[in-house]
Amino acid sequence: MEFLNFLLILWAAWLIWRRPERERLAFRLLVIACFLMALCFFIGSHGSIVPGVNL
Amino acid sequence: MIPLSEDRLRVILAWVVIVLVGGPVAGAVLLGVLYGDSPCILCWAERTCMILIALCGLFVIRYGPKPRYLGVVILLGVWGVYMALRHSALHLARDVGQGFSAPILGVHTYMWALVIYAIALAVIGALLLFLKQIAPAEGMREPTRAGRFAVGLFIVVVAANALQAFASTGPPPFFGQGDPVRLSWNPRHWVWSFEELEPYHISLRGSWTIPRPDPGSADPDPAHGPLAALPTLAVSGWERIGAPLNGAVSGFARDSATGRFLVTTDRYGVYVLDSTLTRVLHHVVMDKGFSVDLSPLAGAAFVGRDTLAVLSTNKSWALLTPVPRADDRAEWRHFLETDGQMSEVGLGRFQTVRAHLMYALAFAFDKAEQELITVSAPNPRHHQLIVSRFARRDMTLSSEFEPRLTPGLTLPAAGRGPADYLVTGAAVANHLLFAISAAYSTLLVVDLKARTLAAVCTVPGLSHPVGLAIRGQDLLLAQADGRVAVLRFR
Repeated sequence: MEFLNFLLILWAAWLIWRRPERERLAFRLLVIACFLMALCFFIGSHGSIVPGVNL
Repeated sequence: MIPLSEDRLRVILAWVVIVLVGGPVAGAVLLGVLYGDSPCILCWAERTCMILIALCGLFVIRYGPKPRYLGVVILLGVWGVYMALRHSALHLARDVGQGFSAPILGVHTYMWALVIYAIALAVIGALLLFLKQIAPAEGMREPTRAGRFAVGLFIVVVAANALQAFASTGPPPFFGQGDPVRLSWNPRHWVWSFEELEPYHISLRGSWTIPRPDPGSADPDPAHGPLAALPTLAVSGWERIGAPLNGAVSGFARDSATGRFLVTTDRYGVYVLDSTLTRVLHHVVMDKGFSVDLSPLAGAAFVGRDTLAVLSTNKSWALLTPVPRADDRAEWRHFLETDGQMSEVGLGRFQTVRAHLMYALAFAFDKAEQELITVSAPNPRHHQLIVSRFARRDMTLSSEFEPRLTPGLTLPAAGRGPADYLVTGAAVANHLLFAISAAYSTLLVVDLKARTLAAVCTVPGLSHPVGLAIRGQDLLLAQADGRVAVLRFR
């Protein structure tokens, strides 16, 4: 999924550079990439949101 | 204050993007290419977050500082700080030099991530501080030379990351791994897996979600215990703690030299009683909120001639000593209530290894070995009965073991074992640890030399035992309600 996320980011950067009139699509790609990154981290931490230390 | 125009902001942001992407993000790719360093799934997310922060910079360079870009970049910064803390927490408590993967300048990458996100947030704050105003959108602009270089560098570095991610984590739907192998461009060595999706205990605190033991709700029926065909030891008599206490009994000990008793309560009361259990010789109420966190007191022991030790369920300890006249000002910080004749001489925490992430409800002192002993309370995540021994000299762990069954003891069914017991009271004599379990009302005798369960017998009629003491040939089992069962044990 990390590979897919980088492709989305590349797509957004390409739009900013070469198709700036498609700002809305580029911003949506940014938001999707943010959620995908957060999902990957959540999966990697096995749902344990709070660090494994004394709170 | 020097105002920052939007034009100048775009130039500065271009350089910020160049530094962020060309520094840590490109550096991470180089670590992979040159040294085979592969990020774990959490590292990938942290690296991606840095790239997304840079992408927000490109948005501003192209379209101006719109509020939604600023909103996203601040959220990304805060999320990045959280990720770095959450990730670092996996390794911060390990022993010296035991971080994950290779360090850079002596610091591991997950800690560097924290520094980078903190700097990113500080830069965002500084730029907003100096920005004249967030003007209405002026529409897109052609990037400056620095802006064009930033976009080009961004695309090259992200493309390199995509290549590394393809080799290291695979195409979707594969995910990154918690413990990746080194980077290789040879497809034979690529590991594409779903291992991070395998079922785990999902909760807010993960493996640190340990329920507090509740001996009051334990099944007292000996017939339901994990060991079959056990002998029965009948209660030969009952006594009662007649002295007034401030709560239910939670720990119990006896000093063989003087006959005095030490009693703790569930309201942090510590009482020294006379040999008849009717008169209070000394008492204090501990301040649980001060310094070391004392979760409810669970055990008591006489340690040496004039030293009393109490244990809380989280394996914190306090050492007290009776004195003719305590210093009021010095002791005010230790006690909520005192008779003026008790002084605190030590406070600390036992560190365990095998009994890590397990509470303890039983406490004893081995006079011959000069060691304090705790017995773990098994929990759903760590279903083990662990005896931990600590040197009195420095209150540091000496040894830990799981008592083995002697040949005469049989288990009625698979999956049952000594860890089904919930030991709530203990005392030592002749290298034997006598331990009473609130679950199944069973007395366990552990041979501390052989590390075995030397004898086990049921004690019908008990209700929520919380402490055990030895008086000559008798075992005294104190219950939470203040009654004391007398057992004649040979």
